[in-house]
Amino acid sequence: MTIERSLVSVVDDDESVRESLPDLLRQFGFAARAFSSAEAFLESNFVGTTRCLVLDVAMPGMSGLDLQQELMRRHQEIPIVFITATGDQTVRPRVLAQGAVECLSKPFSETALLDALNAALRMR
Amino acid sequence: MAESAETASDVLLESSLPAAPLESILCTEELHRRPSRPPDHEKENHALVKLVSALADSPGTVLQTLAETILDITQCDSAGLSLLTSDGKTPDVCGTRFYWPAIAGTWNPHQGGGTPRNFGPCGDVLDQNRTLLFRHFERRYPYLLPVIPAAEECLLVPFYVAGEAVGTIWGIMHSDRRTFDAEDDRIMDSLGKFASSAYQALKHIEDLKIQVFEREKAEAEVRELARGLESKIRRLVEANVVGIVMWNLEGAITGANDAFLHMVQYNREDLASGRVRWADLTPAEWRGHDEQAVADLTATGIFQPFEKEYFRKDGSRVPALLGGALFEGSGNEGVAFVLDLSEQKRAERALRRSEAFLAEGQRLSQIGTFSWRVATDEVTWSEQLYRIYEFEIGVPVTLELIRTRVHPEDLSVLERMIDQARGDANDFEWQYRLVMPDHSIKYLHAVAHATRDQDDQLEYIAAIQDVTARQLSEEALDKARAQLTHVARVTSLGVLTASIAHELNQPLSGIITNASTCLRMLAADSPDLDGARETARRTIRDGNRASEVIARLRALFTKKDSTTELVDLNEATREVIALSSSDLQRSRVILRQELADNLPSVNGDRVQLQQVILNLLLNASDAMSDIDDRARHLVVSTTQDEGDRVRVTVRDVGVGLDPENTDRMFDAFYTTKSGGMGIGLSVSRSIVERHHGRLWVEPNDGPGATFTFSIPPDPARVPEAVHVMRSA
Repeated sequence: MTIERSLVSVVDDDESVRESLPDLLRQFGFAARAFSSAEAFLESNFVGTTRCLVLDVAMPGMSGLDLQQELMRRHQEIPIVFITATGDQTVRPRVLAQGAVECLSKPFSETALLDALNAALRMR
Repeated sequence: MAESAETASDVLLESSLPAAPLESILCTEELHRRPSRPPDHEKENHALVKLVSALADSPGTVLQTLAETILDITQCDSAGLSLLTSDGKTPDVCGTRFYWPAIAGTWNPHQGGGTPRNFGPCGDVLDQNRTLLFRHFERRYPYLLPVIPAAEECLLVPFYVAGEAVGTIWGIMHSDRRTFDAEDDRIMDSLGKFASSAYQALKHIEDLKIQVFEREKAEAEVRELARGLESKIRRLVEANVVGIVMWNLEGAITGANDAFLHMVQYNREDLASGRVRWADLTPAEWRGHDEQAVADLTATGIFQPFEKEYFRKDGSRVPALLGGALFEGSGNEGVAFVLDLSEQKRAERALRRSEAFLAEGQRLSQIGTFSWRVATDEVTWSEQLYRIYEFEIGVPVTLELIRTRVHPEDLSVLERMIDQARGDANDFEWQYRLVMPDHSIKYLHAVAHATRDQDDQLEYIAAIQDVTARQLSEEALDKARAQLTHVARVTSLGVLTASIAHELNQPLSGIITNASTCLRMLAADSPDLDGARETARRTIRDGNRASEVIARLRALFTKKDSTTELVDLNEATREVIALSSSDLQRSRVILRQELADNLPSVNGDRVQLQQVILNLLLNASDAMSDIDDRARHLVVSTTQDEGDRVRVTVRDVGVGLDPENTDRMFDAFYTTKSGGMGIGLSVSRSIVERHHGRLWVEPNDGPGATFTFSIPPDPARVPEAVHVMRSA
């Protein structure tokens, strides 16, 4: 019997993140899926099964914050861990206020990521 | 009596006494420097006629008549003749003594006395063959001491017969009540001729007739001259340029020209009726001046010009300047000129009023003025300037006094300005500070203009404005601006940092994630070697990506879109100086521009080139910020070098270069300044190089360093470049 693994979805326009992060998540023991844009994630069949979303803040088209609001509008209460490469210190409080679990600045350590994911999964 | 005394004295004197030198008792030249009385030809003629009559009627007494005539005409105290004699009585041209055959006046009792030929006044006259005037001749000829009263002055004239000197005639003043003058000289000369005639008695009476004729002729000429003079004076009176008034001391006006009548608004009938009296025309407060004038007239015959007022006929007053004199010999009547001063007085009042306006204007505008005559160091301050300096109004202004107020840091500037001002006529403008007794600081702005006064002496006229309030608000503005600039710089750096961070954090994030994954794959019970290899490959790829980001950032500095246009570097430099001048002034930098004429334009980005110039100026200013023992001179110049390249040079007298670090100066982030990023020179060099130019630095011979950049001229002037541009 296979124990069902929690699905963590990664949405980031940066290819190296999409390549590397799912591998690490699998090493953690999660199931992982990567999407190159918010739109691609919304159009996929994994919105309902995703237990945690690792979401880039700044992307072309819909931004991470836009996706967060869209999910709220759809009552899809997926815990979100934001990741961002800009040093802008104002982003973190904004997304936390909107209900995000955590906001990690790239580059982040595996420990920081794991802590954030565990926190997100405990919420369910 | 005199005779015996002289003979005895001769011997005594020649053997022992040191005599006063002849020059010390002569004053002949003074005759023509003294004011001379006018000739009285009538009296003279009369005397000559009398002499001629005496010669005809009683030749025996003619010499005494001659002596009396001299006395009468020259109004002296004693007069007489000296004749050469061998025996003391008989005239003899070869004689060794003079004797005195006739003396009139005070010395009459000494008649018959005499003096030696070779040591006496008469002998001196014959030796020099001309008229001589002696003063106290007893100082040289002591044998004359007993002949009293002493002669204050003695005028001696030689006379001749057939070309041979035979004697003298003379006049003496025993007191200083009157001195001889040129007129006496002339009369004596003429009487000397007569003496010659008298000596020859009747034989030469014909000569006398000729003399009389000549005298009459001369008199006629003088009369003619007088008539000419009279017509000239009449012209002056009738021209009515000034008022002319004839009057007497009793207060009457006996005559006046139209100018005077017009001044006091009376007419000729008023004048003829005798109603117009100067005493009545004078307001009470001016009577004292009139009384003084009358006193002067009585004493000296003239009164010096003075100012007073007259009543006009309608009772109003007219200010006037008048001066005048009594007619000679009248004792009571005289003439005066009267000048209407109304216009001058009006002008004076207007001047006083405009001076008052000026003073008030200076007070309102806080502008003081001063003048400085360089040659005499004569300094005149306006009242407002005293108020600005807070000195008591009217205290004498000296350089020392000014130095006590000038801010110590501005003293060297002041001294230099003074030195330059003394050297050359220049216009100046400068700012400096005062430290007031309460330790507050005043900011002054001075503008000086060089001019030449009526004597062609250098004089400066300067205006000084108290700009403290303006300065303080400018400083506040500058401070706000500096804060704003700082904020802008922080913001733009922040933007840059965010951009760099984003570009770099992406690959770094990939590296860390991949490395973490790789370690986990290898650490598993059954290591996933293929997965580990794959993640390690990705790690290397992301590392390369990060390095590409850094290369792109560098390219961002060196390859950036910019607008290219024709740039006049003189104009660009002037704009930068204008922008930074207040900054430089606050740093007490003395900036000089030496911009070349006919500088060719360069092709480039105007704003970027101006950034380079600004950067060099501010660097130079910073390099001098700790310099206090010399003036902070900064020279910006533009030139054209041998290769037609345009050079901009910035020269300071600051701390200079550290030879070990000259090469590193242009490296990014190299700085010696605590507040600087060290990016200025590196960016400046990259901008210049993008313009195909060069930026370098050299140490000065003296203190400081010189930064120069050179840019090729507008390529449009180079044919190949034109071609390239067309094809592009």
